[in-house]
Amino acid sequence: MVQLVGSLRRELADSLATCKVLVVGAGGIGCELLKNLVLTGFKNIEVIDLDTIDVSNLNRQFLFQKKHVGKSKAQVAKESALQFCPSANIVAYHDSVMNADYNVEFFRKFILVMNALDNRAARNHVNRMCLAADIPLIESGTAGYLGQVTVIKKGMTECYECQPKPTQKTFPGCTIRNTPSEPIHCIVWAKFLFNQLFGEEDADKDVSPDTADPEAAWKPEETAARAKASEKDGDIKRVSTKQWASSIEYDPIKIFNKLFKDDIMYLLIMDKLWKKRKAPTPLNWQELEKRACPQEEIPVSGLKDQQVLSVWGNCQLFKHSVETLRSQLKGKEAGAQLVWDKDDPPAMDFVTSAANLRMHVFSMNTKSRFDVKSMAGNIIPAIATTNAIIAGLIVLEGLKILSGEIESCRTIFLNKCPNLRKKLLVPCILDPPSADCYVCASQPEVTVKLNVHKTMVLSLQDRILKERFGMVAPDVQIEDGKGTILISSEEGETETNNSKFLSDFGIRNGSRLQVDDFLQDYTLLVNVLHTEELERDVEFEVVGEAPDKAPPPQSSQKDDNNITNGSKDSAQPSTSSKAPADDSDDLMIVDSDEEEPVSSSSATTASGTKRKHPDAETGEMSTKRPADREEERRRRRQ
Amino acid sequence: MIDTIEKEDPVITEEEAAQYDRQIRLWGLDAQTRLRGSRVLLAGLGGLGAEVAKNLILAGVKSLTLLDHEKVSEETCRAQFLVPVTAQGKNRAEASLERAQNLNPMVEVHADPGRVEDKPDDFFLDFDTVCLTGCSRDLMVRVDQICSQRKIKVFCGDVYGYYGYMFCNLGKEHSYVEEKPKIVKPTKDSNDGPEAKKSKVDPNETTLVKKTSSFCTLKEALEVDWTSEKAKAGLKRTPVDYFLLHVLLKFRTDKGRDPDPQSFTGDSQLLRQIRDDVLETLAVSSDLLNDDFISYCFSEMSPVCAVMGGVLGQEVVKALSQRDAPHRNFFFFDGRKGNGHG
Ligand SMILES: [Zn+2]
Repeated sequence: MVQLVGSLRRELADSLATCKVLVVGAGGIGCELLKNLVLTGFKNIEVIDLDTIDVSNLNRQFLFQKKHVGKSKAQVAKESALQFCPSANIVAYHDSVMNADYNVEFFRKFILVMNALDNRAARNHVNRMCLAADIPLIESGTAGYLGQVTVIKKGMTECYECQPKPTQKTFPGCTIRNTPSEPIHCIVWAKFLFNQLFGEEDADKDVSPDTADPEAAWKPEETAARAKASEKDGDIKRVSTKQWASSIEYDPIKIFNKLFKDDIMYLLIMDKLWKKRKAPTPLNWQELEKRACPQEEIPVSGLKDQQVLSVWGNCQLFKHSVETLRSQLKGKEAGAQLVWDKDDPPAMDFVTSAANLRMHVFSMNTKSRFDVKSMAGNIIPAIATTNAIIAGLIVLEGLKILSGEIESCRTIFLNKCPNLRKKLLVPCILDPPSADCYVCASQPEVTVKLNVHKTMVLSLQDRILKERFGMVAPDVQIEDGKGTILISSEEGETETNNSKFLSDFGIRNGSRLQVDDFLQDYTLLVNVLHTEELERDVEFEVVGEAPDKAPPPQSSQKDDNNITNGSKDSAQPSTSSKAPADDSDDLMIVDSDEEEPVSSSSATTASGTKRKHPDAETGEMSTKRPADREEERRRRRQ
Repeated sequence: MIDTIEKEDPVITEEEAAQYDRQIRLWGLDAQTRLRGSRVLLAGLGGLGAEVAKNLILAGVKSLTLLDHEKVSEETCRAQFLVPVTAQGKNRAEASLERAQNLNPMVEVHADPGRVEDKPDDFFLDFDTVCLTGCSRDLMVRVDQICSQRKIKVFCGDVYGYYGYMFCNLGKEHSYVEEKPKIVKPTKDSNDGPEAKKSKVDPNETTLVKKTSSFCTLKEALEVDWTSEKAKAGLKRTPVDYFLLHVLLKFRTDKGRDPDPQSFTGDSQLLRQIRDDVLETLAVSSDLLNDDFISYCFSEMSPVCAVMGGVLGQEVVKALSQRDAPHRNFFFFDGRKGNGHG
């Protein structure tokens, strides 16, 4: 005899009351998820989040209010969720899930783990922890109107890392330094500039003209001209940007003229670059100041961030932000650095003005601070409803797992608009594990193409093993018959190796490295493929995957917004939120409705999957996904 | 017509811009401005009602009126997170007011303990959108008719266990804008960067395109003549959930309540009976809807309320902000399959 507690079978309701689940993340999805879990009858919930509450969270993270800004998300979420069910037992951790305290033993406490994360590094890590602990994981993500939920079970389904995901986009150095063609190039340049002046200097993120640009291809007879140019502008081959700026006491006008006048004039000398492009136009502070109209400084009504400033307005903003940042730097001890943060007003003002001035120099339309912030901060728009839908779906998948029906679990996509079959929510069967996955295969193995004479041990550790292969604290042993330890996760043991090259340890073409991450209980065999022929700006390539680089600007796709510098890495749909343009600019289209008119038969125009495929579910799932689905999947998987 | 934003409408303040930043980046300032000028009536404060209320208050409408005459009970408030656990026996709308208001102090939230049935036609004129949950079929049809004559947008929705549905009627002519990639025209002195020499679709630039769409009434949508040739042809493409909705609405009409887990055996029997009657009356095959649904349609299930409240809430936001193509006109969700379609 069926007995129900609310909508649930009694046996299921009873098991919810006793089992223990983990929620990773108390943000947009996490808040909704905690509510759904306690209302569904889950009683033992642990939640972990590193973050604190920001005012921009309040449009969707409904467990938080204005009075909570600055407090721990996990803690406040716990307190708010308890009000829905005071008898629940919720444990909150204000911490990173990648902390070594949360080891495999910790994960084994749970019957189910639910990810509500916003970054790939943590997702990779939890994926490995759940594989190691053999605990089912429900993975999810949202971006704007789009969302996705999937279930990961060791040995049964794909893991989070079975399908290679697009790596973060980077732009070629010469595009950033010499030939920007899109606003994003100027914004990336401005962020690099911030670090060169005020933050941590990174040789890979130079902002001055790149004389080694292959496209410039100076011939020997032109070297004279180049030398002369260098002489004229003694600052080009200078000491570091920071030392130079410091020596002139961060004089904003001198910095301005160097960046937007002298450096640009230097670029003009590299005339090959401008044969097929429009040449940049240098700016000169003193001339702009003479020409500036006083009206331009009168503030306009409306939102400050929405205004597109004039050139002189950007000059003023540049000067003001440099002065503010200079005093911030002075307030700190010698050698201190500033860290760029989109929510720090002078840092954001600096990037807005510097990027806009460069856009102006390169004949692009300048942008509002609001738009520059979207791109510079890699902001993913987020709304309450998408998160609510996804969090509801997570619990429904969780209930299937707890009912012992994991085979009925699905990957579910939330679309912005109904697809051709009128589906807004599209369930798809779970794929089996990929046999050559470098994470969940029984003996994970990869081949990495690199130059053993140019790759340093530190670079292997940070760029390849940590950044690319998602390890937290790798140990590396060379399979050379001697068991040479190249990298040890124990502090102080192998630091001296860091600045040596791989070849210094006898690593050559065909060498094999055994890499272990103790916390993740994960071993990866790395085959080294030596090459001298990597593209410029590329440190390494994983064999079988596309190179770690953005397409050239001409063919760049819409996700160019998703630039290398963002802190978050989810799929980034168009963030453009333009006001309706002038009617004259609009394409005026009256709805040419191809569907049946909505009349009395409206209910009949619905999904037809049932009869086209005898069994909607297997019918849809067993056929390999159409190309657009595959694309969609890749895009959202991140 | 896309309603013009009146000059006297106050512009979005810096405070609002900060709080709504992540959604303004999605749907734009104009959409947000329209939302904050919109007045919404929400009838029915069960689990789905609470979800819809939360989503609309967070989105930043001008005002939301919570209308419900029922008392808080364990069964009807299982998925209702706006009602405090200490509020048993109190009016559901009034008991929801404090938490609803705390979600966003910038929205005017009101509670009305009256009955929808008792409201005169004029009552609805005070709103731009009316959203009904937990109402009888006759009541929904009546309110839909009143509102569509007066250009008020109507939404109906309910959650029955693992199942949920939504219906919307945005009127004979609903206008909205949709974002499309902008085609950058070549100009002599290009302003779009030195390399923009030929016409191209710039995925970073978008433009808004105006469109209109037309809706039928709830009465028309429910009273399809399944003996007509046209309807018969469309039957194959009609989700069974549509017929399930007929069954559940009939149960509500007959019993004055929804299936109750406390009387599972009796209600299951009755659902089976109503299913047979409804399919016969509609003159469709009796095996269209097997017994499987019966034990999964009891009580409002929280995660299903979350999904339906999200879909319904977003459709209300779209309708009020006149941004993006509306969903037409039924949406059905099956929480066991994860399937959500129209
Ligand atoms: Zn895998």
